[in-house]
Amino acid sequence: MKDLSKVRNIGISAHIDSGKTTLTERILFYTQRIHAIHEVRGKDGVGAKMDSMELERERGITICSAATYCDWKDHSINIIDTPGHVDFTIEVERALRVLDGAVLILCSVGGVQSQSITVNRQMTRYRVPRVAFINKCDRTGANPDKVIKQLREKLGLNAVPIQVPMGLEGDMQGLIDLVKMKAVYFDGENGDKIRVEEIPAQYKDECDAKREELLDAVSMFSDELMEAVLEGTPTEEMIMAAIRKGTLALEFSPVMMGSAYKNKGVQLLLDAVNDYLPCPTDVDNFALDLDHDEAEVKVSNLPTDPLLALAFKLEDGRYGQLTYVRTYQGTLKKGDSIVNVRTGKKAKVGRLVRMHSDEMEEIEESGSGDIVALFGIDCASGDTFTRGDYNFSMSSMHVPEPVISLSITPIDNKAQDNMSKALNRFTKEDPTFKTYVDAETMETIISGMGELHLDVYVERMKREYKAEVTVGAPQVAYRETITQRADFNYTHKKQTGGSGQFGRVAGYIEPLEEGEYEFVDQIVGGSVPREYIPSCDKGFQKCLEKGSLVGAHVTGVRCAINDGASHAVDSSDIAFQLAAMGGFKEAYMKAKPVIMEPIMKVAVEGPTEFQGSIMGSLNQRRGMIIGTNEEDAYTVIEAEVPLSEMFGYSTDLRSLTQGKAEFTMEFATYRPVPKSVAEELIAKAQKKDKK
Amino acid sequence: MLKQELIEKNPIRHLKGESDAKESSRMGLVMARAGVGKTALLVQIALDSLLNDKQVVHVSVGQSLDKTKLWYDDMFKDIAEFCKLENAGEIHDSIMHNRMIITFNESKFSRAKLEERLHDLMQQNVIKPSCMVVDGFDFAKTDRAVLEGMRDMASAMNLQIWFSAVCDEEADCQCATGIPSPCKGLEDLFNTIVLLQPVSQSDCIDLKILKGSAAVSKCGKLLKLDTKSFMIRENCK
Repeated sequence: MKDLSKVRNIGISAHIDSGKTTLTERILFYTQRIHAIHEVRGKDGVGAKMDSMELERERGITICSAATYCDWKDHSINIIDTPGHVDFTIEVERALRVLDGAVLILCSVGGVQSQSITVNRQMTRYRVPRVAFINKCDRTGANPDKVIKQLREKLGLNAVPIQVPMGLEGDMQGLIDLVKMKAVYFDGENGDKIRVEEIPAQYKDECDAKREELLDAVSMFSDELMEAVLEGTPTEEMIMAAIRKGTLALEFSPVMMGSAYKNKGVQLLLDAVNDYLPCPTDVDNFALDLDHDEAEVKVSNLPTDPLLALAFKLEDGRYGQLTYVRTYQGTLKKGDSIVNVRTGKKAKVGRLVRMHSDEMEEIEESGSGDIVALFGIDCASGDTFTRGDYNFSMSSMHVPEPVISLSITPIDNKAQDNMSKALNRFTKEDPTFKTYVDAETMETIISGMGELHLDVYVERMKREYKAEVTVGAPQVAYRETITQRADFNYTHKKQTGGSGQFGRVAGYIEPLEEGEYEFVDQIVGGSVPREYIPSCDKGFQKCLEKGSLVGAHVTGVRCAINDGASHAVDSSDIAFQLAAMGGFKEAYMKAKPVIMEPIMKVAVEGPTEFQGSIMGSLNQRRGMIIGTNEEDAYTVIEAEVPLSEMFGYSTDLRSLTQGKAEFTMEFATYRPVPKSVAEELIAKAQKKDKK
Repeated sequence: MLKQELIEKNPIRHLKGESDAKESSRMGLVMARAGVGKTALLVQIALDSLLNDKQVVHVSVGQSLDKTKLWYDDMFKDIAEFCKLENAGEIHDSIMHNRMIITFNESKFSRAKLEERLHDLMQQNVIKPSCMVVDGFDFAKTDRAVLEGMRDMASAMNLQIWFSAVCDEEADCQCATGIPSPCKGLEDLFNTIVLLQPVSQSDCIDLKILKGSAAVSKCGKLLKLDTKSFMIRENCK
């Protein structure tokens, strides 16, 4: 069993083009996972290891490759991808749950860019401790001090450098470690020979000043160090312990620097990952108790406790479905039988492997806090596994209903096959992505949480599964509801040969404050026979599927029956169903039905100078601006905007703000549409019906 | 109860500026000890404007957007319950369109910034406020010039501005002689100054008018407010 204090589960996050791929390549090389370095745009034409997906490069978002594993100085480091796109709320949440710590990579020229801000905010929300690495110190215009200032101002981190670069831009020679007070040089062709020397005289003063600053900042976290500093005898161990303590408490972020491309500083970064980032037991993780309304329960991390594991990523490998899991508590052994909490299904752990970028190593068991992959387990991303003794879940079971849908049509037969394969896979990976076939038009409909969400899946279908599809116009999921009480009294009668049909029901429908539908039986004296009451319920429910306004789902209705009549021979289940349906239709229009549309909570983040035009653009889209929040040079504008008005907003926003603003949106609520829009929708629905 | 009646029951009806400044451009100040209900009264004042179909900007220093929004939702609910308002949901949705919240960090707030922001809003036709409430403004750390600037801004934009200020424990005795700190010496800038005081063993809050007169004589300079909805109570013990 591995020593948990020697395990690191970390994420690497970076803005596009700040050198994440190059850095990962170096990490894999120094930890001997790969034996030659290929540059991203190198002459050998191989390309870097991590750089495999076209779509990833184009959009600058992480989609593929789940976890890489490496060893550094007797520590095992699992590197997990952190998706930066907030549209995939569920996926982001899962990735961040799996991490214990993170490395934030910044470009020494570009500094803190928009994506870093977004990712940083999420990490703060999930309490992920992080260290910063200022990359590309060899570039012209490199200015680590400026970046550190931005880290403090824009990200609000207590960022303090623990290194001083010896020379910047072209003549960068190495780094000075402020903890050990030694100069470090990286010799050899690939910078793999580390030479430690005394600090050169010209850097002495600068280093003393910076060290002072560092000691000031970290002595806050350790009384022992504080005393030692006052007496002038702080030891290396004390400083490191204090840095670690501050980092784990999220009150301190050590800043390192270097240049991955020029092979400078990567090994020190790995040391820092070992020294300052948390091991699985340093972090509190919480499970949700499904028996008690998703109450949070702290997991123990003990390998002896019952098993609790989260499947956070699925991959379609050469040998079938590969499921990446992180165990939070307990031990996962080969041959164990485990239970999927969501489905309640049992499965047997056939093969347990540890992933080494390309090849894999078979292992017998994995302890808590570890990340491994399972073969042939049927599950979806985000499922929790136990041994059946717990009803806990590591991620919330609540999946929001999709609010937008698209029709997709494969262009040929081959694409048809591939499309269904792709859809099958995607729905497993992402519970917010749904698909069905429309019974009327026989079209395949995909639905999800937003335009970009569906866009990425259509794109992936094309690239990964070679399924070319044509995409229809996005459709918003409207709903209908009633606003007042209305009575009905309806008799269904049919007597045309054979046995007749007879049923009369009377009652009312009224708005329901909470919930979708309620059926109330107020029949006294048996005017409707007992056995036919469920028939009435069924009849009402059939009506709810399609409202008479625009054919949308009807919600928020209480249907009550209080009188009726039956016939000894002619009354039947179907007769009462039809009577209830007739009654509902009779009352529906009297109950002043309205159309409801999904309203999205939109947050636009951009430089303050564009605030006015951003608000103007939201206003144009029937948006209700809730407010603005100033965060230094950035302003966040929050608004509630109907989803139907948000199509194409990303393009508009980009041209409005020179691409400097970003927006995120999530579903907020359903609200009635304004009258003019409602009329338009009804007219459209009627036109469609006539066809 | 209907919307109209709701408007009449609002304590703000009883407050009138002392000087003959235009109704639309004056400054008001709500003072109280921490936790008595400054924000609640400010939100109440804002809601009153909203119910009169006017537009409101709520400036919140040091509080988050979500929290401020919650204040409005809660206050509206309480008021609607207190007055048994019909079709509350509909009114809520319609008036919230006219409200806009601007939040600032404590250290980032400045009059110039706020003015720029407001200009932006008006230019983009997003909102044309006639009332602004400023919550969390730190009187202890600002000087007279800033408030004078605010006053100029108020009259330039034809705006009514209400501030809130935290006063300390001794405020209760001080108010007999004048305006309690930290606003001592600033009273000439405001048209109306009120002090909120909790009344022990009662379900009311006293609203004392320190400056400005009560429009309705029978109430005098002391109004009794309901602790939850901040509406005037008539049958208070």
